Amino acid sequence: MESLQNVLAGFAVVLEPTNLLYCLVGVVIGMLIGVLPGLGPAATIAILLPLTYGVEPVTAIIMLAGIFYGAQYGGTITSVLLRLPGEASSVVTVLDGHALARQGRAGTALGVAAVGSFIGGTVAIIGLTFLAPLVAGFALDFGPPEYAALALLGILLVSTIASGARVKALIAATIGLLLATVGRDAFTGAERFTFDNLSLADGIDFVPVAMGLFGLGEILYNLEERHRAVQAPGKVANAWPSRKDLRESSGAVTRGSVLGFFLGILPGGGATIASMAAYAAEKRRAKDPSRFGKGAIEGVAGPETANNAAATSSFIPLLTLGIPANATMALMFGALLIQGITPGPQLVTEHPELFWGVVNSMYIGNVLLLIMSIPLVGLFVRILRVRAAILAPVTALITMIGAFTINNSVFDVLLVVVFGAIGYLMKKFGFEPGPLVLAFVLGSLLEDSLRRSLLMFDGSAAGFFTRPISATLLVAFVVVAVLPLVRSVRGRRTAGSGSGSASGGSVQNREEESV
Amino acid sequence: MTTLSRRSPRIRRALLGATAAGAALTLAACGGNVGAAGGGEGADFPTGPVTISVGAEAGGSTDVIARAVAEGMAEDLGVAVPVVNRAGANGALATEEVAGKPADGYELVILNASLITITPLAVSEDEAVDIADLDVLKGLSQDDYVLIASPESGFETLDDLKDASGEIKYGTTGVGTGSQLAQAVLFKQAEIDGTAVPFDSGSPALTAVVGDQVQVATVQLGEAKPQIDAGNVVPLLAFSAERNQFLPDVPTAVEEGYDVPVSQYRAVAAPKGLPEDVKARLIESIDATIATDAYKEFNENNLFTPHEISGDEVTTEWTELGEKYRALTEEYDINLAEG
Repeated sequence: MESLQNVLAGFAVVLEPTNLLYCLVGVVIGMLIGVLPGLGPAATIAILLPLTYGVEPVTAIIMLAGIFYGAQYGGTITSVLLRLPGEASSVVTVLDGHALARQGRAGTALGVAAVGSFIGGTVAIIGLTFLAPLVAGFALDFGPPEYAALALLGILLVSTIASGARVKALIAATIGLLLATVGRDAFTGAERFTFDNLSLADGIDFVPVAMGLFGLGEILYNLEERHRAVQAPGKVANAWPSRKDLRESSGAVTRGSVLGFFLGILPGGGATIASMAAYAAEKRRAKDPSRFGKGAIEGVAGPETANNAAATSSFIPLLTLGIPANATMALMFGALLIQGITPGPQLVTEHPELFWGVVNSMYIGNVLLLIMSIPLVGLFVRILRVRAAILAPVTALITMIGAFTINNSVFDVLLVVVFGAIGYLMKKFGFEPGPLVLAFVLGSLLEDSLRRSLLMFDGSAAGFFTRPISATLLVAFVVVAVLPLVRSVRGRRTAGSGSGSASGGSVQNREEESV
Repeated sequence: MTTLSRRSPRIRRALLGATAAGAALTLAACGGNVGAAGGGEGADFPTGPVTISVGAEAGGSTDVIARAVAEGMAEDLGVAVPVVNRAGANGALATEEVAGKPADGYELVILNASLITITPLAVSEDEAVDIADLDVLKGLSQDDYVLIASPESGFETLDDLKDASGEIKYGTTGVGTGSQLAQAVLFKQAEIDGTAVPFDSGSPALTAVVGDQVQVATVQLGEAKPQIDAGNVVPLLAFSAERNQFLPDVPTAVEEGYDVPVSQYRAVAAPKGLPEDVKARLIESIDATIATDAYKEFNENNLFTPHEISGDEVTTEWTELGEKYRALTEEYDINLAEG
């Protein structure tokens, strides 16, 4: 079989010492910048791009890819330890990850996340190896109507993910949806809530919102409750998850891998929805869902596996269709162009050594990351031994710098402060930031996709049901929304019903308004 | 592939930056902005780094052009030329920020023609950028728009589009872009019934045509070319004034009798009122950059057509284009802001 030969030839490419070295350099840099909130893989790759001019194309892409998926590993660390999610896809990791850290089980959380990331990444690479050409079309079948339906489903999951009072979660999610409307209207150019400020023309960036609400809000809250501040020195010794933890996580890892692989193929929002769906699935499956949000290990394993699997499968559109799924992929596209290779549909046939070299380097890169994680987890966990009086201002500083580096904008730093104050107040009054942030991320996806779809359907909402994927997603939406209701009618559960139908209702209202 | 063999200060600094990150996690502090550099020899200017601002995120066409120019200028000027990405409002944010800086030659910006010529047709007046606020140093290149169709649509020429029954859905790369303007005017002139479906940028619009979510769209050639070569999309028309060198078989809109010459031009600009000697030195350095083989090869790889005219010519050309577009939209009663 010819393709198998190519796969094996790809391994020969990776095992060349230069390529191994660049793979290592890539994942190390990736992991480090993942730890720093703000400075993302896209900016790093842009800065380091000139370094790749002098090497072979395959070597360059191996390193750049390493930065990208290495950053996914690193991002977990700040989410768990400092409650700073650097990307939308790690927001749900914060919920149980940070709760575990506060119980002195940061090592367990990070260890499970590392193992989950490794397995999720590896499953996705295997998928990439054998299924890439088959599933690539999936990304093309997803038009605006499908994204609209997916975003609707995602917003419904937001209410499932919240662990506190349902009403408060819905209020927070509504505020998130409203915040998503800020900025220049992408369809008419009209200004919405920008107050003539050009910095708001593109809307509010995700990072200042997440870092303010989660990170800074937490710091401010802890200042008030000094005695309960992050300090668990004696207990952080167990740097590695026990066999029991791993056994408990195995189901979550399996499900997360599959969800992440398929949703990750979708450019735009796939990874975020994958992590949310993984979390929601674990919570629904759990015998005692109330554990979630208070330190359930599956709540870390599921989403972390899913977002890593998604990061890997997001290479599929680039490598098989020549479509860059996000800014990082666009840069790799550029890196290939500089090398005189045009990434496009013919890449696999014209440059098999490049395609398989990169794919196979990911196997090696994932192993390297897992090996590095073991000692690093122990090292990073010690951060929690630092006294709150020192840790808090340092974290605040990192947050500010991180927010600044995204757009080189002081405005974003001010936003962190504003959202920090809001986060503090929310926590004080028992609101969770999670629903707000997730609804905020999905809000613009929903609005844009919905309006785009309606333009395509000449304003008729019936079009959503004539397309198989969007119709299926909408049916799933109805099932998920109605299921708790049915259960409560049967008398098995009474608590979940109100919010389930309420969230469905609110979303429908929104749809009608937009029409 | 010829390796671009050189070790400019920028590369070394990037290396240092990476090392620093490993050592002390300080890369965030540096960001895209490399620290102070040593002075130039002989001349008074420059004595420190010359920053090039880009009003778009890292990775887009404007960004890669900025980085290619920065590379060459750093070599020629002997100081660091960091590229700073300041995305927002189609680039208006970065442009206005640079326009407000002191006119000392240490702050440059890459201008997009569409920001000057087309965006004002879609946004309110006080948000539009006026080219008169800037000293344009040099025109760089032109990036052509091409009208593409999905194979499933069956369109192979513009005539197929005109003969098609029913309304055509056409994808654009956003409100106030050349993609929107070019198609809106063409559809009106050719009397084709169409609805614009705006996407966030070129890549999702292209993806939508490949997946036959919309029948046609207009995107920049660099993005569309791989898909054209693979037969995943069919090029119908280029909106350049003359035939594009990379698409010799595709007619232009002008040839077909439709007066819509729309391309994305890019130029380097500085705050208004640069001292003459500083301006001359900067232009000299840009000229040296665009004369290098590495830069020429860069243009070729990215399918940019060189359009290296003087700053004054840029100002004249863009002002004329802006007036032409305004007249066209008025003549055909097109409102870019209505979506």
